[in-house]
Amino acid sequence: MVKVVHYLNQFFAGLGGEEAAGTPPTRLEGSAGPGRGLAAALEGGEIVGTLACGDDYFAEHEEEALSRLLELLAADGADVLVCGPAFGSGRFGYACARLAAAAPIPALAAMHEENPGVAATEGRAFVVPTAANVGGMRDALPRMARLALALGSGRELGPPGEEGYLPRGFRRNVRADKVGAERAIDLLLAKLAGETRTEVAGGFDRVAPPPSVTDLSRALLALVTEAGCVPQGNPDRLPAIRAQGWLRYPIAGERGLERARYESVHGGFDVTLANEDPNRLVPLDVVRALEDEGRIGRIHDTFYTTTGNGTPVAASTRFGREIATELRDAGVEAVLLSGT
Amino acid sequence: MLAKEIEREGIPTVFVTSLPTIATMIGVNRILRGPAITHPFGLDEKERRCIVERALEMLETDIEATTVWEAA
Amino acid sequence: MGWELATFPAALLGDVPDLEGVDSSVVRPGEPIRITHVLDAVEPRIRPDGRPAFPTVDKAGAGRTNRLDGVVVLPCLDFMDEERPLHEQESLVDMAGPGAELTPFARMTAVVLSFRPQPGIGNGAFEEEARRTTLRVAEDLARPTLAAEPEHVETFALGSVDEGLPAVAALVQLSDLGPLYYQYLYGVPVGDAGLPRIVEPAELMDGSVTSGEYHWAALRNPTLFFQRSSLVRALYREHGKRLRFAGLVLMRGYEQSAADKQRAAEAAAELAVDLGAEGAILTADAGGNSHTDVMLTCRACEEAGVRTTVVIAEMADPDATNPGLTDWVPEADAIVSVGNADELVEAWRPERVLGGDVLLDGTPAAEAGPIPVRNYLGATNQTGQLELTAVTW
Repeated sequence: MVKVVHYLNQFFAGLGGEEAAGTPPTRLEGSAGPGRGLAAALEGGEIVGTLACGDDYFAEHEEEALSRLLELLAADGADVLVCGPAFGSGRFGYACARLAAAAPIPALAAMHEENPGVAATEGRAFVVPTAANVGGMRDALPRMARLALALGSGRELGPPGEEGYLPRGFRRNVRADKVGAERAIDLLLAKLAGETRTEVAGGFDRVAPPPSVTDLSRALLALVTEAGCVPQGNPDRLPAIRAQGWLRYPIAGERGLERARYESVHGGFDVTLANEDPNRLVPLDVVRALEDEGRIGRIHDTFYTTTGNGTPVAASTRFGREIATELRDAGVEAVLLSGT
Repeated sequence: MLAKEIEREGIPTVFVTSLPTIATMIGVNRILRGPAITHPFGLDEKERRCIVERALEMLETDIEATTVWEAA
Repeated sequence: MGWELATFPAALLGDVPDLEGVDSSVVRPGEPIRITHVLDAVEPRIRPDGRPAFPTVDKAGAGRTNRLDGVVVLPCLDFMDEERPLHEQESLVDMAGPGAELTPFARMTAVVLSFRPQPGIGNGAFEEEARRTTLRVAEDLARPTLAAEPEHVETFALGSVDEGLPAVAALVQLSDLGPLYYQYLYGVPVGDAGLPRIVEPAELMDGSVTSGEYHWAALRNPTLFFQRSSLVRALYREHGKRLRFAGLVLMRGYEQSAADKQRAAEAAAELAVDLGAEGAILTADAGGNSHTDVMLTCRACEEAGVRTTVVIAEMADPDATNPGLTDWVPEADAIVSVGNADELVEAWRPERVLGGDVLLDGTPAAEAGPIPVRNYLGATNQTGQLELTAVTW
């Protein structure tokens, strides 16, 4: 028997309507509300307990709510957690998503695909799509049950289309039925006929431009490079391509990057010129002179380096966030970043 | 990419590159076009000073959206 | 008057010549063998008229060429000298196990040429000798076909067809990133070969393009992928059916400055226009910087009124929910993904290792794994040669 714990909000759990939205996490024995229909659809599974929390309580005390709910969840020793269905309800959907994502056991959340809760799972739980309102209850429950049983049994899941969950965003290799060249011809002919399709999408968000530096002569400026500039011999083994991380090196008191002490390990361009004079990639010599002249307040005593060669957006985003956090914590007010 | 994440923290950043087209697509805000892939900050100290000066000017300038300046 | 490609069975493969400084092995399809430090993959070819199979002077793509079906020459070489401007990446072919599905070579008879290290010779000279030897062996191995009857003969010709069909060009990217990272057109590194340039599609398949580049194992195109180009073959096949094959442009990846990249992108687009193309399929070679070139070319084509499809490999962190495109332009709205090179292939224990016992990263080849798709030769090639793709889970 697959043991299921079911999560509902105050309304579906029968604790009350909006006036009960502030209810802290609580546990009910067995199934409640739509849980009964869910239990009936669970062939080979049973709902051992229902957890409930008021939508407002969760929204306003997320950390405590999660902590308490996870405690209650652990006590039941379940194989799988099912949250919802939340349909179009934003607060309920969000709570379902956060709890499912945080659960240490396999978990699914059910809601409409446009519910903002979907993004809140961050790919860590499965989302079963439902209709936008409670009219979709009878349709949703059997599909939730099916996925719950699959997850609870521990078997490996198939692709989203087969198993009835929304794609979580992970890219997985599969064998197509035609070679890429033929698929390219198909895509092109479709595009020429007015139907544009793609096998993978690009796209980037926008960041507001930070305001200018008001007084550079008093500012702390940092140097960062994607050009793979590292101490001679690459002691920390920064990879030439597909960097899995970034490194930082002290430059306090250094007048420039001496050729004998630095090199570039970037694998995507000819580094001969850069190795002759590393300042061509990280302009410490000039920047130090400008610091002496008072044009720049102070140079940050650490420079950051990675190789931007073949690094996909996901990784460079992660590196960027980590480096940015350090720079911010150090009070850096301006950055010169050399790419390639 | 790195530049955008540093900008996301609110730190004005100048991205010096000889390939601004992709950076503009990604949405980096302050981009300075350097002379070549192999030496974005210039070959000799004199050229380097010009490029760095331009970068500093860019840091001191308010901009509305993705902007590309030439180093020279 | 087209080009004739005559196919002969693998059974005609004779003995592999004894070569000084080379350990040769013949590996049957599916044998549990891992081959490391693989430089290239070449199909045995020879011309009955005596002209070279890999010409440097004569124009390819005319007359008749013989091929040995289901045979591939795999040269292996572990470069000794650490002094090189860029960094090599491990290149594997597994003839069995989970990695075998990633490349077509496991279904072929592989003639493995392991070039033994020669102290005192620089990488450049060593590589050149290995490459020339490989092409010579590929030609010698096809020699028995001169005395035999072909199984079948294909003729590649582009006759006039219904003008109402959409005109489609292929824009094929070749790499030149300096020594040890060249692809060659008629023996000339492509950076010096006047690219972008229009060639007859049959030239591509008839030995005019050979590979001498040793990075990005999965994303690069070994010689065989040009000889057996799925793309050019498909376009010939569709000519007169769903499209008119307008022609082939060869273009260079890894132009070294932004200005050069932009100029080359616009020049390639112009050639597509000259060919009368309404649509173009853009392919890529290797990774990183070359993806910038292909995306800029996509943009230039679209701006010139030529609609595009781009064939590209992904490098997506398997544990993250982000697409793995390293470069992209909004005009690239019809992309063929040839798979995620960062996905891991489970560890597999071969019974024997050829090429070299130790991988470039120092791990023993027989015990390595999981290994990223990225290290399997041609696995995510960006000419659309194979069936691998990626979907979102």
